Amino acid sequence: MRWIAAPLIVVSAPAYAVQYLSVQQAQAALFAPGTRFAPRPLELGDAQAQAIEQASGQRVRSRRPEIWQAFEGERPAGWLFVDQVIGKHEFITYALALGADGAVRGIEVMDYRETYGGEIRNASWRRQFAGKRQGDALKLGRDIRNITGATLSCRNVTNGVKRLLALYALVLK
Amino acid sequence: MRGGCEIRRARPLLGTLVEISAWGSEPAALRRAVDRAFNAIEVLQARLSAHDPASEVSRLNRDGHLGPVRVGRDLRRVLRAAARLSRLSEGAFDVTAAAGGASYRDVRLLPRSRVRYARALRIDLGGIAKGYCVDRAVAQLERCGVAGGLVNAGGDLRAFGARAFALQLRHPGDPRQLVDFGTIRDAALSTSASYATGRERCAGALRDGRSGAPLRPGVSVSVRASRALTADALTKVVAALGPRAAPLLARCRAHAWVMEAPCPAAE
Repeated sequence: MRWIAAPLIVVSAPAYAVQYLSVQQAQAALFAPGTRFAPRPLELGDAQAQAIEQASGQRVRSRRPEIWQAFEGERPAGWLFVDQVIGKHEFITYALALGADGAVRGIEVMDYRETYGGEIRNASWRRQFAGKRQGDALKLGRDIRNITGATLSCRNVTNGVKRLLALYALVLK
Repeated sequence: MRGGCEIRRARPLLGTLVEISAWGSEPAALRRAVDRAFNAIEVLQARLSAHDPASEVSRLNRDGHLGPVRVGRDLRRVLRAAARLSRLSEGAFDVTAAAGGASYRDVRLLPRSRVRYARALRIDLGGIAKGYCVDRAVAQLERCGVAGGLVNAGGDLRAFGARAFALQLRHPGDPRQLVDFGTIRDAALSTSASYATGRERCAGALRDGRSGAPLRPGVSVSVRASRALTADALTKVVAALGPRAAPLLARCRAHAWVMEAPCPAAE
């Protein structure tokens, strides 16, 4: 057994970020091949935002949600939402897919950023992604950091999904 | 064998973001494999969560003291592993820790996949189930022919395949700081900690299995073992026993690292 006595010397690594999926990749991951996505522009009015907040218990931060309606051929196949949630230290973009019946088909995290105050501007962590585009082969474990002992919680995503389900029920259904 | 293609995905599961990285030779097959691994975790979460009233664990918690309850393969495996670690650690690891007065000895594993509680009690597999979920996700990826990858469920991760993964640990006194851990290959690493963060300073998940008392904040315990289940459970043992956990670590072929940080607000 090895024991490392405290305190350890720490590396200076102020924040952490991972990109998982682009919008297109999220669409492909959550719906069948060949599905067509029609943007559904929407601007929530005061009354709608308030109703969503009341139904979900979650604050509506953006009045212009990113929504696509999915079609297989001419048949409506469901909905795709791209949404962002902000935790105390984390900023998560995720995609929520609903079936045509409004049931959740799946959730995929698109990107995850961790910030502590102003450190978002210190982009040292971003350098690990420099020159990498979505879909490029990432050299896992060598290029990209893996962190254990994460403090992150999925509560914010769960709350975001509640808000989007209320939006669906009140506005799109 | 290294394939030419890699993917990395994350989903909100197990109360955290679960991330799966995988590499292989065929992108569509990789995506399918990763989907299946996530689905396996989702199914296990529904079975093993004590917070979900519909789960198998909740059913056992309701009826276990009334008579033998038949349990499925996953719950049986986790309970058997938990019982062994409880025995070997003399109760420092105990899935009944949150229940007043009860101990792991009151959870009786009977023949034919049945379980009975010797008294009314509640188990919570929070200290071991996440590790088991990671192990099952890895097994699913391997079954799908994935050459190698990493499943990371926050504090519990496991790498498989030929490649070594560089890891960083959060510093328990300041989660902004990441500490280079070195690499692991074909092994699991779990970290449990009471992080000092803002208003929730010094609140944490580590508890002594015998007293139920929260452990000193600003401490993080990392354990490397071949399986994530073992690593997950042993972090709690090391947190409770300190250096006295050495024989058990040796027996499980595991290694532990402890980081401590001063936590002025709590003292």
